Amino acid sequence: MALMKSASGAGVLGLLLPAMLLASEAHGAEKINPFEGTVANAVVTLITFGIVLFVLGKFVWPAVLTGLQRREEFIRNSLQTAKQEREEAEKLLKQYQEQIAGARQQATAIVDEGRRDAEVLRHKIQAEAKTDADAMLERARREIGIARDTAVKDLYTLSGKLATDLAGRIIQKEIDPATHERLIRDSINDLSTAKLHN
Amino acid sequence: MMIGGAMMLASSNPMEHVLPHKLFEIRGVDVTNQMVMQVVATLFVLWLLVSAFRRHGRANPQNLESMVPRGSGHLFEIICNYLREQVARPILQHHTDRFIPYIWSVFFFIFGCNLLGLLPIDAITGVFSGDRWRTHLAGTATGNIVVTGTMAACTLVMMVVNGLRLGGMHYLAHFCPGPLWLAPLLIPVEIIGLVAKIFALTVRLFANMMAGHILLAVLLGFGTAASGLLGVAIAIPAIAGAAAITCLEIFVAALQAFIFTFLTTLFIGQSVVFHHDAHDEEHPAGDHGHAAPAH
Repeated sequence: MALMKSASGAGVLGLLLPAMLLASEAHGAEKINPFEGTVANAVVTLITFGIVLFVLGKFVWPAVLTGLQRREEFIRNSLQTAKQEREEAEKLLKQYQEQIAGARQQATAIVDEGRRDAEVLRHKIQAEAKTDADAMLERARREIGIARDTAVKDLYTLSGKLATDLAGRIIQKEIDPATHERLIRDSINDLSTAKLHN
Repeated sequence: MMIGGAMMLASSNPMEHVLPHKLFEIRGVDVTNQMVMQVVATLFVLWLLVSAFRRHGRANPQNLESMVPRGSGHLFEIICNYLREQVARPILQHHTDRFIPYIWSVFFFIFGCNLLGLLPIDAITGVFSGDRWRTHLAGTATGNIVVTGTMAACTLVMMVVNGLRLGGMHYLAHFCPGPLWLAPLLIPVEIIGLVAKIFALTVRLFANMMAGHILLAVLLGFGTAASGLLGVAIAIPAIAGAAAITCLEIFVAALQAFIFTFLTTLFIGQSVVFHHDAHDEEHPAGDHGHAAPAH
């Protein structure tokens, strides 16, 4: 693009200059020199450009350059800090993830252990309950046996007494208490013996 | 068409528009319109940049907001940053910040001269003076080959002085890139090459600025060449064309300033950046390769 523009500029200049020089000469005008210039032009250029260089170099460019460098530094530092913080955050995240995984494993282990303990406790409680129940059953059985024996004994006593009274009435004879007692005891013994034989 | 226009304009030659004209004299030295415009451009550039960046140096380094310039300073900083990062740094590498003030100065000085040269001061003052084109109060400083040559000479000085200062023997060695027995042939060729670069720099800016102004003068000359209805018929497209070319010239003013700056940076870079600089970063122990400049 730049080359094309340069070439086109030079082309226009090359096309126009001879024509205009020719035209001016044809009309007897003053001879035109497109390369006209004096040492004064060079001196003025050097002075003005020198002033530009000095003033801008002293008052403007240092501020601009410092501003650009500071901004670069700021952005570079910010990026560096962001990168470090990101790496740190990733490290922390990894650490937290590891901690969470560890906690999860620990929790699972605790739950398993609790389950095991509960199972053991359940078995223990069941066994104790069974033992207690068996003991209670045994005691109840014993008590029932005792109660039955007592009831049977009372029944025998009462039956003997009734039988003796009945027999006394039948034979119209009063039986003395000692005989009465002996008859009852004999009856009971007979009944007990009969029960054992049965 | 352009040749025809030029022939028509023989009576009021458009070359007069671009050539230096004496305005007054100081101690026997002719002061031309181009010199005056150069001084005006200098003052304009200084005023513009100093006022744009006057608060920029007081930025707080901890506060990003305060580091960002305001108003026109923002625009100029974009240009400065572009020239530093996109033009200078790839070429000058670690020497960038050493030369960037010079590069910025070259760009803004040339751009200011180019831009002020486009102001139609002649035409405006001509309306009041009655002589349409001959007040010659304004002119394009960069349309003078001595001005562009002087600027190019400054580039040459920067190349040689900094080449010797920073490169020393490496810089001198690149004048003889081949075997030593070829030195009598290579050294003159390299010196011619160096002069050719400066000559190209001179002519490119001068030719482009002068050509654009001649073209504008020719187009506007068409409008005044004929009178009556024909004059109006010619003037309308001629003025429209001149307006379009003026817009193009604003772009050219920036483009040529950029090209001059870019080439100046490139030539300085060729003088101060050597291949072994890159090697040094890889081999700090000091394995110095050949000293040819980076092209």
